[in-house]
Amino acid sequence: MEEIQERLLGNSKKGRLEKIGKSISFICIAIIVCVVASILYFVTSKGLSTFFVDDVSFWNFLTSSVWSPGNVGEDGQPLVGALPMITGSFLVTLLSAVLATPFAIGAAIFMTEISPSTGKRVLQPVVELLVGIPSVVYGFIGLTVIVPFVRSIFGGTGFGILSSTFVLFVMILPTVTSMAVDALNSVPRHYREASLAMGATRWQTIYKVVLRSAMPGLLTAVVFGMARAFGEALAVQMVIGNAALMPGSLVTPASTLTSILTMSMGNTVMGTLENNVLWSLALILMVMALFFNILTRWIGKKGAMK
Amino acid sequence: MTITKLSKLTLTLGAGLALAACGADSSSSGSSENAEGFDTSQTINVISREDGSGTRGAFTEITGVLVSEGDTETDNTYSGATIQNSTSGVMTTVAGDPASIGYISLGSLDDSIKAVTIEGVEATAETVQDSSYAIARPFNIAHNGELSEVAEDFWSYIMSAEGQEIVVGEGYVEAVTDAPAYEATEGMSGNISVVGSTSVTPVMEVLVEEYTALNPEVTIDITSNGSSAGMTAAMDGSADIGMASRELKDEELDVLTAEPLAIDGIAVVVNPENTIEDLTMEQVKQIFTGEVTTWDEVSK
Repeated sequence: MEEIQERLLGNSKKGRLEKIGKSISFICIAIIVCVVASILYFVTSKGLSTFFVDDVSFWNFLTSSVWSPGNVGEDGQPLVGALPMITGSFLVTLLSAVLATPFAIGAAIFMTEISPSTGKRVLQPVVELLVGIPSVVYGFIGLTVIVPFVRSIFGGTGFGILSSTFVLFVMILPTVTSMAVDALNSVPRHYREASLAMGATRWQTIYKVVLRSAMPGLLTAVVFGMARAFGEALAVQMVIGNAALMPGSLVTPASTLTSILTMSMGNTVMGTLENNVLWSLALILMVMALFFNILTRWIGKKGAMK
Repeated sequence: MTITKLSKLTLTLGAGLALAACGADSSSSGSSENAEGFDTSQTINVISREDGSGTRGAFTEITGVLVSEGDTETDNTYSGATIQNSTSGVMTTVAGDPASIGYISLGSLDDSIKAVTIEGVEATAETVQDSSYAIARPFNIAHNGELSEVAEDFWSYIMSAEGQEIVVGEGYVEAVTDAPAYEATEGMSGNISVVGSTSVTPVMEVLVEEYTALNPEVTIDITSNGSSAGMTAAMDGSADIGMASRELKDEELDVLTAEPLAIDGIAVVVNPENTIEDLTMEQVKQIFTGEVTTWDEVSK
């Protein structure tokens, strides 16, 4: 009897293994949480030091359109207006998403509804290949193909928001397409069957039933694409022109938060105002990443409620 | 949002995109092509280097684009200029755009672009040496006073007769005229980190190649990321040697020991299709500050 009791209460080999497994999982999760928390803390503290250490007006930083961190304005405030970069980032993100969405959803419809076999055999490998191309390659193609193309049509240097939009359009297309395919595949088969049984044509079924049911998933795909576009640095930096100016048109040199960061970070000394304002730009990028994340979750929740 | 609304939004934004793009200030409508077929009424597309670039620092200072008032310095580079963060970036852009103008290290000049003469003086190693070409600056190397034995040996190689011969061979002007011969030390080994100017990098790569041929056990890593980054790395000790394509700033000289390894000209470059052959220093300044915006203003 005592032997049985001991065996039941004592640590078995399986029990020990389970404890070890749990401990390892907990340690891994703790490390991930610590890394994320420390990144958040580091970027936030560095980013806010522009306002609390260097006494730069937060309002000026967000609304002024003059970016020249080494110089001081008439009011004695450093010329660190981030508005041109914020505007540039939002413009390239929105325009590339607007361009990519119809193409991506069209491709997804073809791959799931019209010709799944061809989609699997031809389109899917192409989409996967596009995902694997490094951003520097996209940037280089942009520099040698898109910039001269834009220049020949619209004049100017060819560098600017429009060139960046075209590059980002190709870059986010596979992301949006693959997620849109998943969204369309998740629509239950009986929805389609019921629609067709009611006498709807195939296109009516796709348009009125499948797309509407998949709408939360499709919106999530677009938001993910926008998040990718917003955070892209190298490819954009190569084709946007990097002029810290409010974009006057789509074909004049402009800049984004990421392009200014990649251009300037190596040329500043830690702790100086010039360095701190770059961390402030990084903080804006991080806040935007968080915003896209929250937006994705919100869309997902709304979709689940329906 | 319904599908109809989504498609309408896409169409509206697409139309807006096309219209906005058309609103650009493209080349002037009243074209005035000259005999060679270059349209001088085109807007000048200014290509500059990034803040922190030694080439930009030297160029703006020499041409008067950088204005000093007491302790404050204001860089008046045209705010609408396209910014490139490397010598090759400027070269690629100028080579691809007939209406553009930029500036690069003379040693990096090739056939894809054309250097204009300044005040009638061609940019060559000879004109830089005799000081007739005005836009020239030193290539400096710097360290924070704590060089390892192997880094010190490499430094002495750069400043030796052999090192300076390489400098001249690469199209630059030697910084040390009566340089001593290099005396190789037996069994030299270790790692050296060299960081800085994208303009100094080409000559540094050749120096590294020749030095490591003499000392096979030595590994030298070159990081090409701009003069200011190089000086920062040398100051904080993350690099053994920093490279700068400009004079060092006072705050850098407080910490660093520097020596010029070469004298280099800065060539003002245009596309080969451009028929402009000569510019005055004043015209260069006006172009790069945005005072002059079309080619016909400087082609008279």
